[in-house]
Amino acid sequence: MALGEMLPPEVLPEDYPLPDLDDPVMAPFWAGARAGRLLQQRDRLTGRVCWPPKPLYWKDGQRLEWFEASGRGTVYSYVVAYEPFLPAFARWMPLVLVVVELAEGPRLVGHMVRCAPSEMRIGLPVRVVFRPLSERVVLPVWEPDR
Amino acid sequence: MSDGIDRDLFRRIQDRVAIVGIGHLPFAKDLGRPIADTAVEAIQLALADAGLEAEDVDGFSMFEMERTHEISIARRLGVRNLGWWDKVSYGGGAAAATVLHAACAIATGLATTVVCHRARNRGARASRPWAQERGVVSDDKALHVPWGLVRPVDIIGMWAHRHMHEYGTRREHFGNVALAARRHAQRNPHAMMHGRPLDMETYLTGRPIGWPLTLYDCCLETDGALACIVTSRERARDLRQPLVLIHAGAQASGPNPVHLANYNASPALETTATWCARLLWQRSRLGPRDMHCAQIYDAFTPLVVMGLEEYGFCARGDGGPFTEGGRIEIGGALPVLTSGGGLAEAYVHGFNLLLEGVRQIRGTSVNQVPGCQATLVTGAAGVATSALVLRRE
Repeated sequence: MALGEMLPPEVLPEDYPLPDLDDPVMAPFWAGARAGRLLQQRDRLTGRVCWPPKPLYWKDGQRLEWFEASGRGTVYSYVVAYEPFLPAFARWMPLVLVVVELAEGPRLVGHMVRCAPSEMRIGLPVRVVFRPLSERVVLPVWEPDR
Repeated sequence: MSDGIDRDLFRRIQDRVAIVGIGHLPFAKDLGRPIADTAVEAIQLALADAGLEAEDVDGFSMFEMERTHEISIARRLGVRNLGWWDKVSYGGGAAAATVLHAACAIATGLATTVVCHRARNRGARASRPWAQERGVVSDDKALHVPWGLVRPVDIIGMWAHRHMHEYGTRREHFGNVALAARRHAQRNPHAMMHGRPLDMETYLTGRPIGWPLTLYDCCLETDGALACIVTSRERARDLRQPLVLIHAGAQASGPNPVHLANYNASPALETTATWCARLLWQRSRLGPRDMHCAQIYDAFTPLVVMGLEEYGFCARGDGGPFTEGGRIEIGGALPVLTSGGGLAEAYVHGFNLLLEGVRQIRGTSVNQVPGCQATLVTGAAGVATSALVLRRE
């Protein structure tokens, strides 16, 4: 599929909590996001999507593989966050935090972009876009699938 | 299983171990003292309540996530020799587990008299983990913190909002929990919200924090130090307090565990309480209908609505309507949070709920349920949690 849209880079506050890219379990997910792809992990034997992902040596080391997900899903739940908050996120207040149920099944935490709180509803179709936080970290985030 | 291990350990524990002493320091916004220091003072109060001395203690079971050391407390308290110790972590989940572990140690002869305790100093950075997130976040935190899902109120808000969507739960239902807790606190001089009643209009107009959750859905932020003393029923008979028997206990992480923000445990968005309840009632000769009141962990009001369902007091989805008509207030069919709980007494990771459970069984609560024979005490739903059934002899 086409690569997801990459939003303009952010000027990050120094205290922004960035993900640990060196965690071998999550590294493929973050590498995928950096390339504009939403990656998920599945069990070859059962076809079940594993989220959160497991270490690739799980069981006999042959079972798990990463694949590119559709990047589409629906809002399973959401919260509109107001102050007080971590200073790093204050400029985004009110921030619409979401749990997205991917078309592939698992529920991912994220936040919305290009979407007013008043547009939000549970069940809203959403698609992934990518928000660069630094040269190394890109966050998959969500917008309404209009 | 045929490995020679007695899986029915609860025959050896059930009603044979007792909580014999409780104590706590006055709750405050900021005690301004290190937690090892406040813990020792609370432990002394619990020992005095039991009629025991530090020299009688040979075990510690700590609710701990700040790296306080057992030996510091043992030294300051004057314990002769610590022969068994244990720590349980996970903010909100561990109060009942400390007692469960103590009961196991006593039932198996590893210890005779065990101190369980929790102390918090919210001014200390380590005590409010969410406010410290910066730099690089690892492991399960990397699944939600980088997006800004950081505060427990937002993490629980996801459950609450889905519950409203799926079952028609209304904000008024959450408000019923806030009002019950606050009402109970009005008779508790130790409660932080003593003298500050709450009505539904004020609740409904509270400022949004993580919508749909607003100010009065949130627990307090409190310093505190609390302790209880656990020993065998036989020893307990020689002590001064009415017997409070440990009837059953359980811990559970649930499947696929992520600390707090686990939205993938099961299709139905159950919390860890579902799995904890299952184990608890399996080990108990009593059931939800035998509970005369319940201390259900209340960092946020929806946890109580969901807890009523998950611990089996009503069907899934019926937790909201269950709170109606004063049912969860004193005088109702199932009073909850009879000391005011985390919402109105003090937020000390639920250890105050445990102490209130003990008072209800003793018959000494400020909101005493007449003839209370048994009560449920739970840890936080969502985190790796625990629960206890306490009963009278």
